[in-house]
Amino acid sequence: MSALVELREATRVYNGGSARAALDGVTLEIGLGELTAIMGPSGSGKSTLLNLVAGLDRPSSGRVVVDGADLTNMSEAALARFRRQRIGFVFQFFNLLPSLTVRENVLVPAQLAGMPAGKAEARSRELLDRLGIAETAGRFPSRLSGGQQQRVAMARALINSPALVLADEPTGALDSATGVQVMELLTELHREGQAILLVTHDAKLATRHAERVVSLFDGKVFDDSRLSRSGAAAGDLVRVVGQEVQR
Amino acid sequence: MKALLTKAFADLKRRRLQTAVVLLIVLLASGTATLALTLIQQTSDPYDRAFEAQRGAHLQVYFDASRVSREQVAATGDLIGASATGGPFPLSGIHLERGTQKLEANTQVQGRDQPGGQVAQLRLVAGRWASGPGEMVLTRSFADLYKVSLGDVVADVAVASKPALRVVGEAVDMGAGSADLSTNTFWVTEAQFPALSTGHPDWWVGYRFPGHPDDATLSRALDRLKAAFPSGAVDGSVNYLLFRTLFGITNSILTNTLLAFSVFALGASVAIVVNMVSGIVLAAYREVGVLKALGCTPVQVVAIFTFQMLMPALVGAIVGAALGTLIAQPLLQQSSHALGLPPDTTLSVLPDLVAVVVGLLLVAVAAALPALRAGRLSPSRALAMGTAPAHTGGSRVRRLLGTRTPRSLALGFGEAFARPVRAGLTVLAVLVGVATVVFALGARQSLDKVQAANTQQGSAQVLVQREQGYPDASVTATLAAEPDTARVVAVALNAVTIVGYSQPVSTQGFRGDATKLGYLVISGRWFQKPGEALAPKALLDDAHLHIGDTVAATAGGRSTPLTIVGESYSVSNFGHSLFVDLPTLQSLAPGQNPIYYYVVLRPGADMSAYIRRVSATAPDFLTVKSTNEQPIGPVQIIDSVTAVLAVVLVVIAAAGLFNTVLLSTRERLRDTAILKALGMTPGQVVAMVIATALALGVIGGILGVPAGVAIFRALITALNVSTGNDVPQQTLEVFTPLQLLAVPVLGLVVAALAAFLPGRWSARTPVVQVLRSE
Repeated sequence: MSALVELREATRVYNGGSARAALDGVTLEIGLGELTAIMGPSGSGKSTLLNLVAGLDRPSSGRVVVDGADLTNMSEAALARFRRQRIGFVFQFFNLLPSLTVRENVLVPAQLAGMPAGKAEARSRELLDRLGIAETAGRFPSRLSGGQQQRVAMARALINSPALVLADEPTGALDSATGVQVMELLTELHREGQAILLVTHDAKLATRHAERVVSLFDGKVFDDSRLSRSGAAAGDLVRVVGQEVQR
Repeated sequence: MKALLTKAFADLKRRRLQTAVVLLIVLLASGTATLALTLIQQTSDPYDRAFEAQRGAHLQVYFDASRVSREQVAATGDLIGASATGGPFPLSGIHLERGTQKLEANTQVQGRDQPGGQVAQLRLVAGRWASGPGEMVLTRSFADLYKVSLGDVVADVAVASKPALRVVGEAVDMGAGSADLSTNTFWVTEAQFPALSTGHPDWWVGYRFPGHPDDATLSRALDRLKAAFPSGAVDGSVNYLLFRTLFGITNSILTNTLLAFSVFALGASVAIVVNMVSGIVLAAYREVGVLKALGCTPVQVVAIFTFQMLMPALVGAIVGAALGTLIAQPLLQQSSHALGLPPDTTLSVLPDLVAVVVGLLLVAVAAALPALRAGRLSPSRALAMGTAPAHTGGSRVRRLLGTRTPRSLALGFGEAFARPVRAGLTVLAVLVGVATVVFALGARQSLDKVQAANTQQGSAQVLVQREQGYPDASVTATLAAEPDTARVVAVALNAVTIVGYSQPVSTQGFRGDATKLGYLVISGRWFQKPGEALAPKALLDDAHLHIGDTVAATAGGRSTPLTIVGESYSVSNFGHSLFVDLPTLQSLAPGQNPIYYYVVLRPGADMSAYIRRVSATAPDFLTVKSTNEQPIGPVQIIDSVTAVLAVVLVVIAAAGLFNTVLLSTRERLRDTAILKALGMTPGQVVAMVIATALALGVIGGILGVPAGVAIFRALITALNVSTGNDVPQQTLEVFTPLQLLAVPVLGLVVAALAAFLPGRWSARTPVVQVLRSE
């Protein structure tokens, strides 16, 4: 499997280098079509890694290559174009634009990318249908439940058919039943070949749905376990700081 | 209280930019208001005050000294019921030169041994009174106009011996206007006078009447004087109402314009403060919740937000008032100078106090109203929400734009109307700015036309003035011999009396095609043959004349019928003048030849060289100059004031837009971060923010243009009516479609510039930082 995401000795230091590195010389490859979970406690570097892969932040040293694009020295505008074409975001708190309707929210990345209007409309309808929220298209986000809002965020993430979907604690703001539904949707997308990078601190969620779990601690890779795709396999252990989780 | 102030000061430091905006707009509004109030206070009846202080003459009459004796005119006071008389003093024309420089104003010299007396006292403002031969006292206005100083020596070139005169004093004369607009008098001792007389002296007598005589009273008095002496004995007269009106018009137009625009400036400032406090309150729900949880009462919460605005407003209002007072001084001096009045610039704190107090009250109310929302907030709700609920406005605008409009622009346009009240108030500020620019632009062009119609600028390039001792035929020959001369129109002047109007009417007799000199004809036509005349509205009304009427005109004992064929436009004597052809004028005043020659040059001619050549043919008798050297003082004052107003209001409008865009970008910081995360480039972010400003700018511009045109038309109409004229369409139709388009377009450029910085800040704010701080 060829690498979709490639981090080489990626380091990110904040506060002008006086503080400890948020990410400390991480080298990591994520393949096409993988569902990889990044785990770790608060301050372990999960979000920093996600930001580097998304092109929202740049490494202090090392390299970050995503889908063949070296993000390390890209301009802000080039990074923005990279994000709109190759990355789909699903945030913990949904981050829908409150002044836009559901339909308008979903269309934003397509319009930014210059997708023809008719094609974008058709694609948004298809996604909203598929995610079971077609009837909410004309509503504003404040009128939706948390689960519905996260589905809208997923539709928005998928509209440009990105190479990689970044999901940052996608179930963190949802009740457990809704969280399960959202994860099932992500898993279904993964089965269709969508590469997903999932950041979570929920070890059970990670091991249940991901085929690979990367654990971070103090900015370094603490463990990198590949799990069988085909359900529970006795003895598969994922080492997370302070715990061992059996699948 | 201390806690409230501490919090308010801390917020001020945190919101430095918004503090600066409040300070700036209040400074400008307060400065404009102080300027207007100072002018209103200090120029209210300055003429009347100075006139009474110097016991000015209500009526000045010039008697032909060859027809009546000094003793005869000295006894005329009782004849017309005057309460006091001044003079008689001998009076004659004079023309001064300093070195080779001609001092070209209309001037006369009076023999007078002392400046005091019962009527027409002269206020010495520099030097002393003339006491011996070779000494002269000038008016302050003339000295200012030509930069003549005490001790300078000038020569009277109106007489052959060119006697030298040393300037020993400067005086203020309430019987004349400024040197650039009206005839000024100089004074020498009576013993010196015969040496300066041109041979046709007058006796000057000034009369005062009880109370404040009106025009009719003074006209009746003049009629009685004319009846008491042989025909032609009364050479001319000057009525004090002319100068009072002249001074009052400039002032009232100036002060009313300033007052109107200072109200606009204050209104725009209030709109900006309301917007600002609303925005701060919306973003500070959590803080309000914390304050209330800590025990702040609703009133205290309102006070914190109000203090935040009042503190910079106080500084702005005080500095603005001081600046307004300072800027008012040259305007006051210019305004007084327009009539040769003494500069009366006693500093008064009243206008400053009024401007500061009114400004602060308005800011307090403007801040308190939106702050009430914070005061009424439930602490638990405020703490839970953190910020105001997200607005969902603007979706209609986005829908209207459809999906084909670039998303960044559609989002920016939609955001402009997301908060309708804020959008409305911002549009108001822009509207005021655009309207002021349109007004200033129109006023300038219209006043230029008024000036051109009265000074022939733009139609003729050169004006030649002939001294009486030099023959008209010689001037005509000189000009005809010049290869660069394309056309010459010569003008003779004489006072004429017409039936139905008691005052002598200044009459211009033209030789040559005067239709090419840029005079405006409001209705009817230009004269085509002898016996036809044009007159402005005021004279037509006062003499109850209409186009087509025939009226008898008399001068020097001769009479001729004049048929009114057109209504002319002339500010001379507030619309009391006549235009006829030269033969008509000469039928009333034989031998009255032209003294002014307007020359239209051939294309490509070198005007300076032409002026030098013509002047050199008779340097002692010809004054040759460009027609551009005859500015009308009040026009210049109004021009400069409107230009300053335009700048002030544009800055306020730009500050308003900047503030709105800043509030909007801060409220949308999270949304913008999400958009950036979704792939919006920095350029698209800037475009989105600028689109917000442009949307508001477009509406303000579209509404501001007709508003500005309406204000402009009202001012120009008032100006024309007050000068005794109907409104010539040419002075109203000054805007080209390009200009009316260019003003709002320039407004959009200003809007884009005002939005650029907030847009850049928004584009540069790191996404990670914003989303992490949720």
